[in-house]
Amino acid sequence: MISVVRTILILAMIVPSISFSHDNQKHHEGKSKADDLNQCVEPTDVMRKKHFEFLYHQRDLTVIDGIRTKQHSLANCIDCHVSYDSNGIAIPINSEGQFCYTCHIETATKIDCFTCHATIPRYSKKSIYNKINKISMVSQIHSELNKDSHIKYHEQYIE
Amino acid sequence: MRSSLMSKLEINQKLFWFLLSILGLFILVGFFSAHIMEEEGHHITGMNNQIIWGLPHVFAVMLIIISSGVLNTATLSSVFDKTLFKPLAPLSALFAVAFLISGLLILVLDLGRPDRLVVAMTVYNFKSIFAWNIFLYSGFFAILVIYIWSMLDFTVKKHSKAVGTFAFIWRIVLTTGTGSIFGFLIAREAYATAILAPLFIVMSLLYGTAIYYLLYNLICKLNKKIISLEITQNFIKLLRIFLYINLYFLILYHLTNIYISKHIDYELFILFNGGIYTFLFWLGQILLGIIIPILVLSNKNMSISSLLVIVGGFIGIWVIIIGGQAYPLNMFPNHEIVESSFYDSGVYPYTPSLYEIALGLGSIALTLFIILAAIANLKFIPIDENKY
Amino acid sequence: MNSISNSRRQFLIKSISAAAVIYIIPALSNKTLAAKPPSQKVSNKTRWAMHIDAAKCADGCTACVDACNEENGLYGFNRPKTDPQWIRKIKIKDINTDKVTTLPMLCQHCENPPCCDVCPTGASFRRIDGIVMVNQHTCIGCRYCMMACPFKARSFVHENLTQQLTTAPRGKGCVESCNFCVGRLDSGKEMTACEEACIKEGHHAISFGDLAKPLSRVNTSLKQSPSIKLRADLKLNQRVTYTGF
Repeated sequence: MISVVRTILILAMIVPSISFSHDNQKHHEGKSKADDLNQCVEPTDVMRKKHFEFLYHQRDLTVIDGIRTKQHSLANCIDCHVSYDSNGIAIPINSEGQFCYTCHIETATKIDCFTCHATIPRYSKKSIYNKINKISMVSQIHSELNKDSHIKYHEQYIE
Repeated sequence: MRSSLMSKLEINQKLFWFLLSILGLFILVGFFSAHIMEEEGHHITGMNNQIIWGLPHVFAVMLIIISSGVLNTATLSSVFDKTLFKPLAPLSALFAVAFLISGLLILVLDLGRPDRLVVAMTVYNFKSIFAWNIFLYSGFFAILVIYIWSMLDFTVKKHSKAVGTFAFIWRIVLTTGTGSIFGFLIAREAYATAILAPLFIVMSLLYGTAIYYLLYNLICKLNKKIISLEITQNFIKLLRIFLYINLYFLILYHLTNIYISKHIDYELFILFNGGIYTFLFWLGQILLGIIIPILVLSNKNMSISSLLVIVGGFIGIWVIIIGGQAYPLNMFPNHEIVESSFYDSGVYPYTPSLYEIALGLGSIALTLFIILAAIANLKFIPIDENKY
Repeated sequence: MNSISNSRRQFLIKSISAAAVIYIIPALSNKTLAAKPPSQKVSNKTRWAMHIDAAKCADGCTACVDACNEENGLYGFNRPKTDPQWIRKIKIKDINTDKVTTLPMLCQHCENPPCCDVCPTGASFRRIDGIVMVNQHTCIGCRYCMMACPFKARSFVHENLTQQLTTAPRGKGCVESCNFCVGRLDSGKEMTACEEACIKEGHHAISFGDLAKPLSRVNTSLKQSPSIKLRADLKLNQRVTYTGF
């Protein structure tokens, strides 16, 4: 009996820390485009709970049916959530202290997306980043990127 | 046969733990090398884009067909009503389980993504013989467990003949499946023939009989007993028949390939000018694995004969799996490939790495570990002094 | 009577010209069928294919290989036996005539692909528009497809990779091969990297396109010279065909 009570108590302590590991504070270092936005592609609480379902669904649609919509694509997640350092260079999103890493370490869920997928945005031309020195100017990076015709093709690719 | 006539292995505790820890050590080394293979990727092994399946697959195929073949003894008692073999049947099913587990484990550990085993078990393409085999292997495992239970538990013993018969049918289908993994590969001249399925069946019967005798001999030695003459004579008869059938199917397999004119070059390669593979084929598979065992059997020396059958059998599977891939693909009939960056011409060499060897030895150690642990704790061994 | 036959004639003329407007003219033009919107599934109305004229393929030129490597972010580790090659140059000599030919070899995109037949998880699959590719989310790395392929078109990723391209995810433990630059095709660019490079070099040995469009580059090229399928005895009905050797 005592052991049952003890188990329940321990669970009561652990479970909230699993399900509410997110607070509203920013967890990652550097500055990302997402920092300036109010909401992701779905309401925030939906994204927190279901982002994997979206990705999982999207991956089959993309690979098997050739559907390349932007909303739930992993590439799009990375474009927006990747942080840039003070030199404007993208920091891999799965590296320590970054968006994917921080939560997945905290909730102890292993992901293997990045054994295959790129960890920095699709148009990470270092030359472009190097033009911009301050991290406060992430939006500027994106506007800069859109001018490039090379990126036009890629943008069209995900539109 | 009542279960009271069966006993556990009578083994000195110290020896038992010593053997178990030696085997455990090999298993650990095997797992460790599999771990390194997974962490580093397959470039550290001898396998590459030319020799796609290597030593792990030779081991895996060997263990899996032995698993099917070692059930012979149980089949003789259940399907063919040979009462002499009845007390030997539970051991036979135990061996089958042990060989199956290690064979499957080595297959899984060699995957590029062993972490995706769940995918392999949940997503199926039923056109694939591999997918069927996943069912055949896991089904065989379940049947074997039920079979052992039905033989060892007095209350359900009446069902053991039915289960045994089912297991017999299942294992024939299973070995057909294993042979068909290769038999249905139209791309490679070594494989594209359905005769590989019966060839694999008879190989499994042959190696299974040999392994059963060797292991039972070993167990008797540990138990300080000698196998009775009657049992040995029966095994000699069995082994001799399977040796002749194996030789027959091997000849048939190569004749078939010679007859298919587009496969003739591969046959010339294996039979005459394939270097190491020709050598291994004639000296290993044929001489060591079939001819000498037949000669030795006439001297009634079952142990040596069995040992040679296993060694020759291993070499034989090596020749089929590695030799079949070493021979270049015939992509441009009537053309000679002069230059290619992808090794499209010429015979590919293959040298297994230490990791693959460790993985293979680990799988054998695991087999013996399971068997030893089981017979030391459960009543698997017949105790009738005179008969067994 | 006359008026009836007149109206019948007019009816026939009108319906034929209507049919022409609806079916024939769009079929003749390359541009009228707009690229598929990203939200739409690919369909079997598109049939990707490639025709390779080996007579135009230049000895020593590796433009297609280089372009493929760049497009898909392929790189080696100086281990030629395990390094991936999606497209490679092969030089062959006719046994009877001693005629030497060079040609690019790549996934032949069979309509009856042996690799897809043997794949236990269905990771190796043929997309409905004819592209044979690997779904690397479900590939377990058993390499049975590589055993089954008569053209040695596939490579296994033997080591950890970094710096992959967003448009070409690839990683350790999976099998990979040419996918006709599927990302390009889905974005509406109906040209593979190898073809683009070959045209840029001025060789025009590779012609890619949609078989369903009569004026596509692959159809034009196919019309000029009779094509053969490699190992036609296997009846795999490849979408990559050859000419000129």
